[in-house]
Amino acid sequence: MAKTRRARFSRDTLQFPQKEFDMVKEGTVSLVIAGVLIVGVAAFFGAPYRPAVTNQQIASTKPILLEQTALGDLDGTGEMSHYGPPYNHGFHGEAPQHVQSILGYHPQTFWGTPYPVNTATDDVLNPLRMLATASNNAALSGAVATFQAAPFATQQTWAMNYANALKKAAVVNGRVVVPSGDYGPVQTMMTAELSFAKSGLLSGALDRESNPGTIYRYNIQDDLLFLQGKALHQIAHGIDMKGGQWGINHDEQPYPGPWWLTPYTFLYQIPPGSTAPWGDEFVAYTIAFLFVLLTLLPWIPGLNKLPRALPVHRLIWRDWYRRLETNKTCATCPLKAACTQEFRGPKVAATAASASPACYEGKQNVPMPPRPEGKGTSGAPFGM
Amino acid sequence: MNWSRAIRTKVSEKLTWDNLLPSEQPVYVSSLVYSFGVFTLSSLVFCIASGVIMAAKGPLWYQHTSLGDFMRSVHFWSVQAFFFFMTMHLVGQFFMGSWREGRAMTWVLGSLSFAVAVVEAFTGYLSRGDFFAQWNQVQSKDAFNGAGLDGFLNILNNGQVYGLHIAVLPLILIGLVGLHMLAVRSKGVVPPYRAKSRSKEDA
Repeated sequence: MAKTRRARFSRDTLQFPQKEFDMVKEGTVSLVIAGVLIVGVAAFFGAPYRPAVTNQQIASTKPILLEQTALGDLDGTGEMSHYGPPYNHGFHGEAPQHVQSILGYHPQTFWGTPYPVNTATDDVLNPLRMLATASNNAALSGAVATFQAAPFATQQTWAMNYANALKKAAVVNGRVVVPSGDYGPVQTMMTAELSFAKSGLLSGALDRESNPGTIYRYNIQDDLLFLQGKALHQIAHGIDMKGGQWGINHDEQPYPGPWWLTPYTFLYQIPPGSTAPWGDEFVAYTIAFLFVLLTLLPWIPGLNKLPRALPVHRLIWRDWYRRLETNKTCATCPLKAACTQEFRGPKVAATAASASPACYEGKQNVPMPPRPEGKGTSGAPFGM
Repeated sequence: MNWSRAIRTKVSEKLTWDNLLPSEQPVYVSSLVYSFGVFTLSSLVFCIASGVIMAAKGPLWYQHTSLGDFMRSVHFWSVQAFFFFMTMHLVGQFFMGSWREGRAMTWVLGSLSFAVAVVEAFTGYLSRGDFFAQWNQVQSKDAFNGAGLDGFLNILNNGQVYGLHIAVLPLILIGLVGLHMLAVRSKGVVPPYRAKSRSKEDA
């Protein structure tokens, strides 16, 4: 009697009837096809490229907006001023405004503030000090010193007055003109900040703040954050790039974007992703959960049997199933009980070690048509 | 236990030349669906080749010269092709239930490769140096911060983002894809589901 063993059910693919296959040749052919397609499309269509927006451009085209941005950074009303971790703990003792939390879970705060940002110092006071030194501008130097020496309440009053004035401001010959008022040194500072941005040097000053103590400035954090509010949002809205407009999912020009992010971007089109202040956290963890589901699919009951219930595999293996019907091998398969186990019970089957693998439509049991030398028996193009 | 002998034995059993460089394959491998995997690999080759040239010449070159612009286009369309074929490969393998009969780890490696490729592509988009990069960089900070990834990755630090894109993530991706391919070759292509007509015959 043949010795039997209990083993995890799996069929050795080498026991199936084989056909000729040249992996190297087919890999080479696919490489050539892919290369011709990719290089051809690249040569014909090119790739999207819209130059990045600079502080200099905003200062020249929207000087009031630039001053409003700088003022928000100075008085703490700008988004980044009171963002929270990983940049700061809020502005001047006020609680952070952009910490995302779901049921008390707020991983954003776990790391502290590894990338410190003090918008008043980094975006306005330090750049203006450098500008005053570089231009030997005593008035500007004095204005910065006056602002810093003033009580916080006074600073806020000056800034609020100037913020209100900017709402009524006009642009005359590229300069921002506001009605007379009690602005302290703030008007001088904002005028200088605008000039600094127009010169193109503000970005360099901001990059210096992001990369203290080095001339190798790989970190562009402060430069990016300076415009990240209204300035970039206005431009992005005009070209349908905001999150609620399927943002990153498409390019701003008629080119395919990162469409593989569609499930991710979709979650930003519906609540709570589109409405909740913790929308980003919700979307990130939802996608992470879906990815875990995808990865663990082989072990998820029901889902791991779904492909068998769907008829698509019949289409993919239609040649094979047609072959089985033609040869009528299934009815005589001695391992059909084991085959049944694969789909209906635990993945363990009692198989005879010496059993002839007839359920594979094995070579020994089913006469195969003679195979022309060096030719395959079927038209499978690739086997990877 | 001799680790060297154990590894040598395991590798010799699993990775025979017949598995690694087969000259035959089962007859059920007969569908265009099977070509998506090899086309994914071919696209990846072009992603890497164009990316290496771009990295060698630097960001200014691929943003501001005509040859650099062309190479950026090749890189762009390689990535599009890579994701197209990889997605089709993933969908096809799902419908074939390709994790069956001891191939779960093959599926897991493929899934991890997909995830790493998404992050790799994202850091690439941020390295374009144009408005698309600028806008998505400042937008994605909220996503990375909200998810709690900010402590590891400052998405606004281009030194880190660029380094991840051209070295760290490609190495991980190539490693995962390599293991995925070894898993495919050592186990063979998943056999078809049992024919439904058998059920009637069995009964």
